[in-house]
Amino acid sequence: MTEKSKFADDMTASIATWHGVTPPNDVALRMLGDLEKLIRDFEALRGTLRFEDEPSSFEAALREAASIGVRR
Amino acid sequence: MTAIGLDVANLSLVDAADAVRQGEVSAVALLEACLANLDAHEDAVNATIWVDKEGAFAAARAADTKRAAGGPIGPLHGLPLAHKDMYYQAGRLSTCGSAIRRDFVPDYSATVIERLAAAGAYAFAGLNMAEFAQNGTGHNRHHGDCRNPWNLSYITGGSSSGSGAAVASRFTFAALGSDTGGSIRLPAAANGVSGIKPTQTRVSRYGVMPLSFSADNVGPLARTARDCARIMSVIAGHDPRDPTSAEMPVPDYEAGLNGDLRGVRVGVPKTYFLDDVDAPVRAAFEASLAVLAGRGATLVPLTLPLMDAVATYASVVSRVEGATIHAEWMRQRPHDFATHINSRMFPGLAIPGTYYVEALSRRGPILKAFATEVFGQVDLLATPTIRICLPTIAATDVDDGPPGTEQLALGISINTRPFNYLGLPAISIPCGFDPNGLPIGLQISGRPFAEDAVLQAADAYQRDTDWHTRRPAIPAA
Repeated sequence: MTEKSKFADDMTASIATWHGVTPPNDVALRMLGDLEKLIRDFEALRGTLRFEDEPSSFEAALREAASIGVRR
Repeated sequence: MTAIGLDVANLSLVDAADAVRQGEVSAVALLEACLANLDAHEDAVNATIWVDKEGAFAAARAADTKRAAGGPIGPLHGLPLAHKDMYYQAGRLSTCGSAIRRDFVPDYSATVIERLAAAGAYAFAGLNMAEFAQNGTGHNRHHGDCRNPWNLSYITGGSSSGSGAAVASRFTFAALGSDTGGSIRLPAAANGVSGIKPTQTRVSRYGVMPLSFSADNVGPLARTARDCARIMSVIAGHDPRDPTSAEMPVPDYEAGLNGDLRGVRVGVPKTYFLDDVDAPVRAAFEASLAVLAGRGATLVPLTLPLMDAVATYASVVSRVEGATIHAEWMRQRPHDFATHINSRMFPGLAIPGTYYVEALSRRGPILKAFATEVFGQVDLLATPTIRICLPTIAATDVDDGPPGTEQLALGISINTRPFNYLGLPAISIPCGFDPNGLPIGLQISGRPFAEDAVLQAADAYQRDTDWHTRRPAIPAA
């Protein structure tokens, strides 16, 4: 097995606790490390978008977006 | 050779269907031509998981008998088709490209399979695919890697690897694929065929192996955009058995293909989709824009909004949903997954529910903001389907490759995945070849439910180019 980072150790422990799954191979541990970038990317979006107050659905958004910019 | 004097397996789906309708060729002759190609090249390409020749001949003979009787026949009458091996057909194997479902035989059929049958087509093979549709390269540890018919050392793209390779190899006139992050468009691009991912909810997913509930789509791969249009007219539309399918009217997509792009505004992204694009891909893409302009389209350079958010949230949704669906097998049978599959799913189990809810809850608002900014200015978007020249199978073999191989493999879908999160229709059509002789794809996307506009542009392009008519000279295995 490759040397694990503290981040990978923490994530591995979390997955074992919540899901009962252990790392299947070295590649899985490497890809677990990629989550650090995902977290950075996710956090970079903080404050750029907000939750809508009213009920909505993606299906409704699809229907609404279908007519945006359509020239009659 | 047949009465109409050519290799009928080289006909487009539409031409083959019309030839059957006119009595110029029999359904049996079509099947024989496809099987001749299959027998000659399957050892090299490895596009199938199972083939039912006996059932196919029975279906072809029945189609010829029905036509001879003179009754009404459907728009796909007598056509032999083969599909990604994850479309359930009652009583037939559906391995989903896996070892875990190697012997799985469902007792019901997918709605799309039933609709194709009602239109006169029949399925004769289950096609190779990435294990549980979970890679963009076409590697498969259990059923063997599918190989690109243009050069057997190169990837086919995935996850609908066999669908792309089988259509290009003239084993079938068309194939269903599925697309969660590019799995129809990537093999379409890599194999030099046409393939469309419809709008999310446009086509029923009943009886189709799920990967990511939010982003899975059913769609065809075929030689031409017109072929895709004919199939879309058959399979699209609401299905009571799939309550997530849209209750929107379905146009006759084929009837709208007129080659005229005057008044159509095509957005050309200045950001994201052309970042770090390989020079041959850029050259082919720019040449394709000139073709669209030659048909009357107006090209509009655009800076796309929210692409960082789209890419990040798409990654969260697909990782969590893929891991969730397979979590029980990850606990019980971890060693029955290939290394590159369970390693990809494993991190998804660590992503918190709050991230997932946030990614999903912002999907609608992001779509509306994206549509307002983009489709307020243009009708379509054009991009390369894959940013890089196709890599080899060896270079993207995560199971046996050095650290970092997984990044190259995952990067294949960077231009296709955003359209799954946004739910937009997108087609890939062939637009050239790279210096290694491998196909390059042009991706065209549009507003939700604007498959007609996407298909019209793709068809117009194919009226002035011949990339889609080229056929690989498949070497021996």
